[in-house]
Amino acid sequence: MQQSRVDRQPAYVLHTQPYRETSLLVEVLTRDYGRFTLVARGARRPRSDLRGLLLPFQPLQLAWFGKGELRTLHTADWRGGVPQFAGARLVTGFYLNELVLRLAARDDPSPALFKLYDRAVRSLVDHALTATVLRRFELALLEELGYAPALTQDHLAQAIAPQARYLCRFGAAPELTDGEQAPRGAANVSGATLVALAAADFEQPQTRREARLLLRLLLDELLGPEPLASRELLTTLYALSD
Amino acid sequence: MKNPPSLDQLIAALKVLPGVGPKSAQRMAFHLLQRDKAGADKLARALDRALLNLRHCERCHTFSETPLCNVCADDKRRQEVLCVVEMPADLLMLEQTRCYDGLYFVLMGRLSPMDGVGPKDIDLERLIARACDGVVAEVIVATNFTAEGEVTAHLIAEMLKAQGLKVTRIARGMPVGGELEYVDPGTLAQAMYERRTLS
Ligand SMILES: [Zn+2]
Repeated sequence: MQQSRVDRQPAYVLHTQPYRETSLLVEVLTRDYGRFTLVARGARRPRSDLRGLLLPFQPLQLAWFGKGELRTLHTADWRGGVPQFAGARLVTGFYLNELVLRLAARDDPSPALFKLYDRAVRSLVDHALTATVLRRFELALLEELGYAPALTQDHLAQAIAPQARYLCRFGAAPELTDGEQAPRGAANVSGATLVALAAADFEQPQTRREARLLLRLLLDELLGPEPLASRELLTTLYALSD
Repeated sequence: MKNPPSLDQLIAALKVLPGVGPKSAQRMAFHLLQRDKAGADKLARALDRALLNLRHCERCHTFSETPLCNVCADDKRRQEVLCVVEMPADLLMLEQTRCYDGLYFVLMGRLSPMDGVGPKDIDLERLIARACDGVVAEVIVATNFTAEGEVTAHLIAEMLKAQGLKVTRIARGMPVGGELEYVDPGTLAQAMYERRTLS
């Protein structure tokens, strides 16, 4: 099947798993074909060149054969520019991968999502503030998945007032509140934070702090009850650094 | 036609091996029963004996038939360095290199967030207790240079540093005897990023 070969596709490896004696199942995020699984034959042989290539957080260019469930990796080329992640940056990377793996549908091409992911990985390398990279990615991911929170108008169609406080819930417009509390299933954030989020402006520490609560609430709704392992790991590490 | 129950049970039992699906399990079962009954008998006995006699070494957690494995029981080895590896095969490989005369700790696994394997799923408390015996002065982290091995190394380092221990990581770079022309780009790129000053 000549027509089912794809060449030179920008991609990232999200995860690999052993498959049969010497092969790997590689979960990839590609620019034009979305997320799916490739079989990398012989990739686990001791001297396989693919060992140093099929690594997460590395910009790659992949070619593969086949369609549907049986796609086989043909070649993987190094695009470079990103040192291997280690330490806290690696845990952050795992968090990005877990979000993409859990939330992006299989075989749903989204060049926009690929661009977001690529930008997040490269921002982590550039020592951008991790919190900013994560909040930017989480917000854009929600938008890309079609769950963008309402940020400009409250539930009465009034413009958001920066000095007011709002209760935000999944799938609903913000509701004015006079307290600091948030009932279960809601986040209490300032109007200033909503305005900043609408402009994707994460300059202020308060924006990042409140955005973290709000975005977590919205993502948890999509993720369901099963916890994210990387988030637990971050919590463990955070407790150690205290 | 259906298989006799004992044959089905054998096939099901063989499927516990990693990478063995129903088809290969069936092939293995037929081979053992038809072509190599002596081999099958040997396998059954060996498995029985291993299950009966093998336990984990009290100090390093590797497989051992005695409470202490022969490395941990050897008092000529340096007691103040502890090398952490993922699996017993890694310990054996390091022993083959004859470059290290300290002691080990075998994690029997690694963190793997993408598979849902978190800090609670590997026995890190045991490692901390072992490393904090008052004799160990340096812990060498020799987990794999995969994303999973690296994240495991990070967590171990943070935990042990919080206990005031010196933690080191084995180095990564060009293979010994390696020529730049023939090495893979990932290895070469990382060797460049992790270059060191010549003194
Ligand atoms: Zn031992």
